[in-house]
Parts: sequence; C-alpha cells; structure tokens
Amino acid sequence: MPENQQPRIGVYICHCGGNISGAVQCESVAKALKGLPNVTITRTDESMCSDAGQSLIEKDIQELGINRVVVGACAPMLHEQTFRGAVTRAGLNPFLYHHVGLREQDSWVHGHDKTAATDKALRLMSAGVAKARLLQPLDPIRLGAEKHALVIGGGVAGLRAALDIARQGLRVTLIEKSPFLGGRMAQLETVFPTEEEARALLHDLIQKVTAHPNVTIFMGAEVMGVSGYVGNFTIQVKQHSRGVSDDNAEALMSACTQEVPDPFNYGLTKRKVIYRPYEGCYSSTPAVDWDHYDGRPFDVNGWPIELKDEPKSFELNVGAVVVATGFDPYTPPQGEYGFGELPQVVTLPQLIRHLALSKDGKSLQWNGRAVRDVALIHCVGSRQVDGVHQPQEDGQVNNYCSRVCCTASLHMTADLHKRYPELNIYDLHQDIRTYGRGHEEYYRHALEDGVRFLRYNGEEVPEVSPAPQGDSHPVLVKVKDMLTYGEEIEIPVDLVVLAVGFMPRDLHGLDKMLKISRGNDRFLLEVHPKLRPVETAVKGVILAGSAQGPMNIQESLSAASAAAAKVASLLGRGKVELPPFVAAVDVEKCNGTGACVEACVYEGAIALQTFNENGEEVKRAVITPANCVGCGACVAVCPNNAVNVQGWTLAQYEAMVEAIGMDLPAMTEVTA
Amino acid sequence: MTTQTLSRAELLKQLRTTHAESVKRAQELLKEQKHMQQELCAFFREKPRTVPEAAQATGIPADKVLWFVAAMKKYGIVAEAGMCGDYPLYKKVEEN
Amino acid sequence: MDDLHMDALVIGGGIAGMQSALDLGDQGFQVALVERDPSIGGRMITLSKVFPTLDCCSCITTPKMSAVAHHPNIHLYTYCEIQSVQEHGAGFDVSILQKPRYVDISKCTGCRECEYECPITVPSPFDRNLGAYRAIRVPFSTAVPQKAVLDPEYCLWCGKCEQKCPVEAIDFSQQPETFTIEADSIIMATGFDLTPVSTKKEYGAGKLHNVIDPLMMERFLAPTGPYGRVLRPGDGKEPGSIAYVQCAGSRDETLGITYCSRVCCMYAIKQAMLLNGALPMADITIYYMDIRTFGKGYEQFYQNAKAMGVNFVRGKVASIREDADQNPILKVEMTDTGEIVEQTFDLVVLSQGIVPASHPTVSLPLGSDGFISVPAPDSAPCVTGRPGIFVTGTAAGPMDIVDSIVSASAAAAEASAYIRENGSRLEVEKEALYA
Ligand SMILES: Cc1cc2nc3c(=O)[nH]c(=O)nc-3n(C[C@H](O)[C@H](O)[C@H](O)COP(=O)(O)OP(=O)(O)OC[C@H]3O[C@@H](n4cnc5c(N)ncnc54)[C@H](O)[C@@H]3O)c2cc1C
Ligand SMILES: Cc1cc2nc3c(=O)[nH]c(=O)nc-3n(C[C@H](O)[C@H](O)[C@H](O)COP(=O)(O)OP(=O)(O)OC[C@H]3O[C@@H](n4cnc5c(N)ncnc54)[C@H](O)[C@@H]3O)c2cc1C
Ligand code: SF4
Repeated sequence: MPENQQPRIGVYICHCGGNISGAVQCESVAKALKGLPNVTITRTDESMCSDAGQSLIEKDIQELGINRVVVGACAPMLHEQTFRGAVTRAGLNPFLYHHVGLREQDSWVHGHDKTAATDKALRLMSAGVAKARLLQPLDPIRLGAEKHALVIGGGVAGLRAALDIARQGLRVTLIEKSPFLGGRMAQLETVFPTEEEARALLHDLIQKVTAHPNVTIFMGAEVMGVSGYVGNFTIQVKQHSRGVSDDNAEALMSACTQEVPDPFNYGLTKRKVIYRPYEGCYSSTPAVDWDHYDGRPFDVNGWPIELKDEPKSFELNVGAVVVATGFDPYTPPQGEYGFGELPQVVTLPQLIRHLALSKDGKSLQWNGRAVRDVALIHCVGSRQVDGVHQPQEDGQVNNYCSRVCCTASLHMTADLHKRYPELNIYDLHQDIRTYGRGHEEYYRHALEDGVRFLRYNGEEVPEVSPAPQGDSHPVLVKVKDMLTYGEEIEIPVDLVVLAVGFMPRDLHGLDKMLKISRGNDRFLLEVHPKLRPVETAVKGVILAGSAQGPMNIQESLSAASAAAAKVASLLGRGKVELPPFVAAVDVEKCNGTGACVEACVYEGAIALQTFNENGEEVKRAVITPANCVGCGACVAVCPNNAVNVQGWTLAQYEAMVEAIGMDLPAMTEVTA
Repeated sequence: MTTQTLSRAELLKQLRTTHAESVKRAQELLKEQKHMQQELCAFFREKPRTVPEAAQATGIPADKVLWFVAAMKKYGIVAEAGMCGDYPLYKKVEEN
Repeated sequence: MDDLHMDALVIGGGIAGMQSALDLGDQGFQVALVERDPSIGGRMITLSKVFPTLDCCSCITTPKMSAVAHHPNIHLYTYCEIQSVQEHGAGFDVSILQKPRYVDISKCTGCRECEYECPITVPSPFDRNLGAYRAIRVPFSTAVPQKAVLDPEYCLWCGKCEQKCPVEAIDFSQQPETFTIEADSIIMATGFDLTPVSTKKEYGAGKLHNVIDPLMMERFLAPTGPYGRVLRPGDGKEPGSIAYVQCAGSRDETLGITYCSRVCCMYAIKQAMLLNGALPMADITIYYMDIRTFGKGYEQFYQNAKAMGVNFVRGKVASIREDADQNPILKVEMTDTGEIVEQTFDLVVLSQGIVPASHPTVSLPLGSDGFISVPAPDSAPCVTGRPGIFVTGTAAGPMDIVDSIVSASAAAAEASAYIRENGSRLEVEKEALYA
C-alpha cells in the first residue's frame, strides 16, 4: 500500500484563471514549497479542477508514486470532492488528500496587497503540507440499513408516504393511532380546488396502499419507544384490540347503549362507544372506543358480554421513520368570539360536518331556526397578536398564518351560496390569502355571489355578543371595517362561523422519543427549509404533511412524496455511508476519566465500557461512530489527549499551526 | 471528414460572411463603445465624477453612461471613489 | 454524438430541476438534465438573499449546482434545446439540439482570458441587462459548467479570443448538433418568467427608467450585482425613497392574469428588509391589496418588517408617471381612507408576478392559467396529462423555493415509481439498482 510508505507529497497550486494568480505569485510559492521535507513535486496550473488539471495529479500519483496530495485552490466546499474523486481514480485513499482555500481565504480578500497575499498563501500551503505528512487513510463509516420504513400517522400524508415508499421497492409499516385510516381529510366533504369528494379520494388512496404487497398496516397502534440510528432503528409498538370482530360486530353495536359526543362530527352529534366513524370507512370493522367505554357488559340476546382491551406489544426494525401525525383544528377557549357561550357560534370544521348531516332544504337550519344572515370570521387561532389574544398553554400566541383557512372559508361560502342562494354572507378578514393554483377563483366567485367582505385590523378584532332582547337576530357582530375607511359596523346575524386555524398536535412524547424538535410555532421542525425541507436534524427521521405546519391536501401529498424520495435515497442500497470524521479513542492513552462522556451532547456517541486488562477491570471510552458528529467536544476535555477526530487530529492541527507561524527560510526570497 | 478543414483565417472570414448583418451591427456598437470609453475615461481621469456629471459633459444619456460605467468597473477600467451627495463618484484606474 | 438511454430526463436546471435530478441520481437512476442556458442554476442563482431565512442565495444554490455537476448518475447537457419528444413504448425519444458554444468545453478551464480580450461589451441577462459582459464570456462567476460561451449575435469574429486562449479551447468550426436521448420518464422543470408589463400602459409599459422589475432589485442587492450597490438605473442615484407596487401583473383581469403569483408579497418584504440594511436612511413603502405571507415563518417575517419601519399601505396604484427628473410619481387609491393621493419616489419596483417560461417544448395540456396542467392536484400533484411526464417547481404554477424543492422531490418519487413500474431497463439492472 502506497499510504504506508514514507510520505511523498504532491503539491498543486491553481491560478484559478487569474482569480488566485492575480494576487498570489503562485510560481514563487510553488518554488518555496519544493524545499520542504517530503514534498516530491510542486506544480501550478491555470485550472487544477479542469480535466487537464485533474489528470496531472492522477499521472503524478501513478508515475511518481505520490501518496499524499495537497491542492491550493478555491474553497473546499466547491472542489474538495472533485479532487478526492481524482485521487481515488488514481488508486489512492480519498482521505490522503488535503484542500487549501487560496481564493476565498486569500486572493479575494487580500487582492489589494500582493505581497501579503503571497506570504499568506505560502503559510497556508505549508500548513497543508504539514498536515498532509500526517494524513492516514480512512474509510467512510458504512452501516447496513433495513430496507424497511415506518410511517407514523394514517392521514392523507402518511398514506401517500407509505404508498410511495412501497412503490420504490421498499417495505413499509404504517401505524395509525385511531382504529381507522384517513385522518382529518375524512371529515371533509368536497375539497378545494378540485371539488372532488374527500372520502372518494381517500378511498382510492387507501385501496392502493392496502393492496400493495410491501405495506403492513397497524391501526389502533402507538409507538412506545425508539432506539437506534439511521438504517437501524428499533421501534416498540403497542396495538390496542379492536374489541369486536366482523362476526359479532353488528350484534354488539345494536346492544351497545353507551353514547359519547362524536369527535368525527366535532361533538355536534353522539355516537356509540362501539362505532364506525362514517359509512365506507377503513377498516369497515367497527372498533371499541376504549377511552370512553365505561366497562359495563353488553346484553346480547340475554348474554352479558364484557369487552376488554388486550393490547399487543411488538418490535419493528426499520431503517427510517416518517412522521405524518397531522394537526388539530384550533379549539377556541370558552368565550372567544362567544364560542362555547352562544349556541350560534360554531367553527368551520363543525359547519362542514353540520352541512354534511343536514338534509337539503330551502334554508340553512341551525338550532331549529332558519339562518338568514351568517358572519364568517377569519384567522381565529391564527395570526394572533401578543397582548390582544389569550396565549396558548405555553404562554405564546399563535402568530403564524394557517394558510388553509382562507381558501377553505371561501370554498365554504361558495357551497353555502349554491345550496342557499338567499343566505346573506358576511366575511370578516384581515387579508384574503387565496394564494394557490385555482384558489383565487373562490375569491372571485364569492365577490360575484354577493358575499360582503369586511376587513378588520389584527389589533382590533371583531366583537361577537348576544343581541338585545327583541332584536330580529340573536347575535350581533361589531367590526371596524377598513374597507369603509374604519367605519364601526354592526351586523345582526343568526350564525357566526369561526375559521379556525391549524394547531400542532400533542404527540404524547413521540417527538421526544424520536429526538426531533419543534419550531417557535410548535410544529415539527425541518433541518433547513430550503436545503432539506422534509428532513429533521435526526438522520433517518423525516416529516410528511401537516405535522410540520399548516398544509392543504395537495401540499401534504407533495411533502409525503418528497419524504418517500428521501427514504428511498437513504435506504435503497441497503446500506448507509457516513463520512469518517468522527472521534476515535486511543485505548493506550485512555484511562477512563469519563470527561469526554460528560462533554458530549450527542446521545450514544461516546460511552465508558468496562474491559479486562491483565486481569484488572478498567473503564475505557468507546465511540459509536454512527452517533458521533465529529464536533470535537471530547477532544477538548480529555486530559490524556486520548481522543481525536479522525482526519482532523490534534497532531495535525499542531503541525499546521506550527507551519503557519514558522519563519520560512524561503519567505524573504519569495516575497522580495 | 470529407470537406477540407478550413484554415483559421478562412473560417473566420466565412463566419463574418454568414453573419454579415450582426457583424455590421456589432461593428457599429464597437465604434460607439470605443468612443464612449475614450470620452468617459478622459472625463474620469481629470477627477472623480458622478454619472449625471458625465452624462452632461458627454451628451450621452445618463442611463447609458451608468450601464457603461458598470461594465468598465467590472473589467477594472474605472473604480468607485467615494460619494457626492446621493451619487457615487467614479475615477479612471491608471495602469501601473 | 451517440444515442443514449436514460431512466429519466429532466428539462430545466433551476432549483426544481436540480433537486429532482439529485433525488433520482441518489437512488441510482441515470438522469439527463437538459438546460437551455449555458449554465444551470435558473432564477435562483440570480437572487440576492432568500426568504424566509435570509441566507445568501449562492451559498444554497452553488453547492446544489456543484453536486449536480459531479454526480456520477447525472448527465448534464447545457445550452441545449429540446426539439421533439416522441412516445417510445412507455418511455420517450427526446431529440435535443446542442447549440454551438464555439468553445470546446473539454478544454476550456473557465479562466476568462478570452472575456478580458474580447473588445465588445454587451448586456448581460444575468444582471437583467443592467450589467454587462463581453461577446465571449463565462456567463457568471459561479456558472456551472464554468466554461466560456460565445454569443454569435454580437461577435465580430475577429479571432482575438482564439489567440489569447491558453488551452486552445476556442473552436470556430462548431455547428449545431442534434442527438437523441431515450428516456423512460420526463420531468418538466422549465420554470417561470416575470409577468410582462409592456401592455400595462398605466404603469409606464416598461418605459420608465426608474421603475424596475423585482429581479433587477435582486441583482442590485446581490454582492455580485452590476453596480456593487443599490442605485437607480436612470442616473446612478442612490435612492432615498422606494415604493413597491404589489400585484403588478397578478390578480389583474386587464392582463388576463387573474391568479395570485404567491411569491411577490414575500420577495417585496424581503427586499424591503435588505434595503433597510443597505440604505438605512431610505423610506420604503409597500402598496398592497392583501399581504399573503402564508408560509412557514412568513407571517413573522412580515411582522418583523413592520417593526423595522417598512411602511405597508393598503392601496391600489392606479398609475405611474414620471417628473422632469425621471422620478416616478404614483397615483394611489388609498383603501383605508378612500382618498386618491399622489406620491413621488426615487425608485419604484413593480412586484411583477410569475408566468410560465416562454419556451414550451413538450406538447402537454396546459391549465387555463397557462401553466402545465395537473389534472388531479388533490391526489397526484406532480402528474401531468401525459403518462410518464411529470412536472415540478414553477412550471406547475407560482411557488417559492421551499415549495419548489419539496415538489421536486415529490416529482422524483413519482418518476422513480413510474420507471420501476414501466421502465425499459432490463430486470436484472433494475435489481442491481438496489443491490
Ligand atoms: C376546516 C378545514 C377544511 C379543509 N378543507 C380542505 C380542502 O377543501 N382542500 C384541501 O386541500 N385541504 C383542506 N383542509 C386541509 C386538510 O384537512 C389537511 O391538509 C390534511 O388533512 C392533512 O393531512 P395529514 O395527513 O397531514 O394530517 P391528518 O389528517 O391530521 O392525519 C394525521 C393522522 O395521524 C394520526 N396520528 C396522530 N398522532 C399519532 C401518533 N402519535 N401515532 C400514530 N398516529 C397518529 C391521526 O390519528 C391521523 O389519522 C382543510 C382543513 C380544515 C381544518
Ligand atoms: C424577484 C423574485 C424574488 C424571489 N425571491 C425568493 C426568495 O427570497 N425565496 C424564495 O423561496 N423564493 C423566491 N422567489 C421565487 C423563486 O425564484 C422560485 O421559486 C424558484 O426560482 C423557482 O425555481 P424553478 O426551478 O421552478 O424555476 P427557474 O428558476 O425558472 O428554472 C427553470 C430552468 O429551466 C430552464 N428552462 C426553461 N425552459 C427550458 C427549455 N425549454 N429547455 C431547457 N431548459 C429550460 C431555465 O433556463 C431555467 O434554468 C423569488 C422570485 C422572484 C421573481
Ligand atoms: S389563511 Fe386566511 S384565515 Fe387562515 S390564518 Fe391565514 S389569513 Fe387568516
């Protein structure tokens, strides 16, 4: 192996088409470096990264036996990989390469002072050579990966993610907390912008998912524990019993008398504790609502039958996890816009359910009365202002826009107008945000339909109060309307609809188990909105849909497919490869102080283990490379210098610092 | 190849013929630019000046002066030299 | 050139096209990325800083560009035009024209000696024609590939560049060349143009010197911009007052563009914040109908701008004219008071919207808005009306970078599933993909 021989260093300085050579006297620097120990050859070139430049290096490795390479060029970000590639092509370990940034770090910033720029170039390059002498071959960390992904959440995003992962040829397990699939979308009727039936769309999707041979689904199941890392997660799952089977379901359902408010209809109706949320749901087998079932036996043909939840626990080994746990609609606190106090105040999701349950008639009925006038208030629970709105549990207000409610509201007004053309609709908003493709049309139609738009300021929200006795309408809405130049307007109405926003869901510790964080808005947080918009800071844990922030169906689908693409790139080859720049312990020097373990903030990266040394029990630090990010916190605290980051060792740093500060003999000659 | 490889001079000549129209336009543009560069450089060599000053002195519209100054700045022919009110000043870069 | 077989062909090398290609390449598929410009990067590489994080645009774009260029499974074809797309089994035969660069890119090192030598200065579209380069040039400092290209429109064919080139890369004998790529699937990532305002007479029809488009302002704010600072293009004055006219060319029946362009509120706010940093003394006013800061973190971005002192004024700009000193004068119907006021500014930015890029190359059903039609957005947001052809980024309607990147990965997922299910690669090879 060439790497085990005496270092024979090849040094290459790039003119970068004048970018570097305009400030740095490259030839002089090369000449000076030639005198350094172990430097076998120095060359300069117009453009090292060009094919011609790269072949120069390859040729030198093959013909001159060069076994360490240093290139001074642009920033490593741009071309370090390029040169590692060239070195590898010539048969050398890619980590026997060191890159010096002579452009961004030198010529571009010191272009006005050529002498200083040349001096700095020489110092930076000799530091590179000093490091190169100590370079050792390294291997990337290769780990086997389960070609199996877990999707948490069976709403539209989770279903889509599962389908797309399965279509990439990987196995996928989907876990849904409720006993039925579909999530929030199942509670919608027609959806914008296509006006298709939500449950028909879901039905198609569920059919594809359940028919796919790569997919396994667990309903009524929750994640109880997570361990491991990308490629090799172990997931503890608990699945509740369904409680009934297809054989006894109908008999038990008819025997069941206990009723609870139906969450599917946001409490507008009641349902039994053995239930199907809606006709055509998946699975079609009813389930027992264990949270509410009072445990009393059912009387089936004179037989008392008691149902018991007997949860099953099991483990899954997966390579990646997709979190698609969705959102909750905002529930206004008692009294916000009269909610919970006035029976004529409902939320938009409730109105959607109410309309679905209403028989078609001449007029919209609410509380046994015909509704003639309705007011729709936007931004309820969204775009909240400190000091104006009641804070959430954590003391913060929801200062984000929920993105979906504007179009959902105008989609609703279109539906109301179509069904009840006589209805007067007032729309109270701050801005109308119908941003998406096919959304602005709803705004236009609303204007054509005669919806009356009023605009309030975020700091001066409308007031909802009971109308005085004897008024024609039960409720009075007061608003300072900016569209009529701030006029105070009172609108008597029969119904107030609150366009509630999206709330991040309480995940009962799942986010902690997965070690993923939430943003200021409390939704799950991506690594970087542009570079890695669906990935979390935990490698192998990926987000899909409205768990990450408000999204409509189309956006949830895109995010889910994107998550599937990330899973496929990660697991497709059945192995994951990580860069080798992680900590390594020299067991000869380590005497088990444990300072490193304390300094490390990455769980599972470094730990003390007990070894038997000459019959004596000793503790030594051990690195798990997959969990180490190479930050070097342990290096800084080790009293024995027993730990080093591979590829960036202390010895290498010291050699570089020494070289930078050295009074190079050739210096005066070079810069003269 | 069946056709004889053309000599370099012949090739360029042929290209000039096939592109006669654009070459004509480009030649006129070049003439204008050479003239503009001469005038502006002379003006900026005296002392740092703003774009409107240069426009007034040369009779070239200010937006065109600015465009050309930006180009000359890019290729190191002129450089910024402080501000005069709301306008940056430009000076000729002298070759050493 | 030899005929080639690819799993996927991506048309357009903007951020969306690059991301789709990277996602497919990372999965082991062979991808051709075809870009009509001499460099990839699209609109994004011309931007200054990007909302909502305000990070430097090239810091995000250039690594992606470089990743594309060095990816073993991505085959880059720049300066190419798609000529035709023909069904071939479940895939396509795509005929591509390689335009002559008059530069041998296997030799060119991007040193720009030719550019410095070239005698003629020409407007640079990279700088929205407010900056300049030469008839032969490397298109911009971070171009990928970092290779020169000669513009025959302006070339004098004087041959000076050829004499100067240190690696003999200039090749005057280059001719347009046509080649064919057989691809199992296609992703359309052809991007957007700004809504044209030449027909918008009320706003000066693009003729007023100090009324600019927002991409020009991006260049002024970028460190590599034409002036190296913010100046108005009419006379080089540093503007003391700047106005933004929102929905200039969107939500506008008179232009036939009725939709919302989705990014203009945010870029206007972003530019206002950056201007606040670049010109701390300047007054900045944004005239708007609705502020649509709907994305993750965007509402807070808006509130921050308000707190910084950017003026948000609800009003409809009826017309723009200029005074004798070319200062634009806005006539505004103020929504909150009903008054009509006139206000003079040093510089006005028209927050122009987004229309599809003007080069439709593949015959595909279009929506009424002119963007490539997506027949089932609520079930398959990247699937077009032609099987095997997918769409991503602003080719599918206005969207910002975050949404473009997500949509690009989604299109890659759709395409890869399509390739697996219908692709013509041998079964063994498909197996080998994941070996
Ligand atoms: C009033 C209203 C009207 C709307 N109208 C439209 C419309 O017309 N068009 C449109 O495009 N969009 C509309 N939307 C938006 C649409 O509802 C969402 O985009 C969509 O439901 C998001 O899907 P999801 O899968 O991300 O989340 P969800 O639908 O919330 O699904 C999440 C799933 O995860 C499960 N889950 C949660 N936690 C766990 C856990 N710990 N373990 C296991 N499973 C878990 C939940 O039970 C649920 O099934 C509307 C939204 C509202 C509020
Ligand atoms: C002024 C302004 C500021 C903005 N600022 C921000 C911001 O701060 N943050 C943010 O998130 N978003 C911002 N955006 C939006 C952002 O620019 C777009 O979301 C993004 O650039 C879209 O990328 P794309 O790949 O879809 O399209 P493009 O960038 O347009 O890329 C399309 C590519 O396809 C090529 N192409 C076109 N037709 C063909 C063809 N026929 N054959 C081959 N190639 C072809 C083009 O040359 C181009 O390279 C801004 C937009 C504007 C107008
Ligand atoms: S989408 Fe509309 S209603 Fe919803 S929070 Fe945003 S502005 Fe308010």
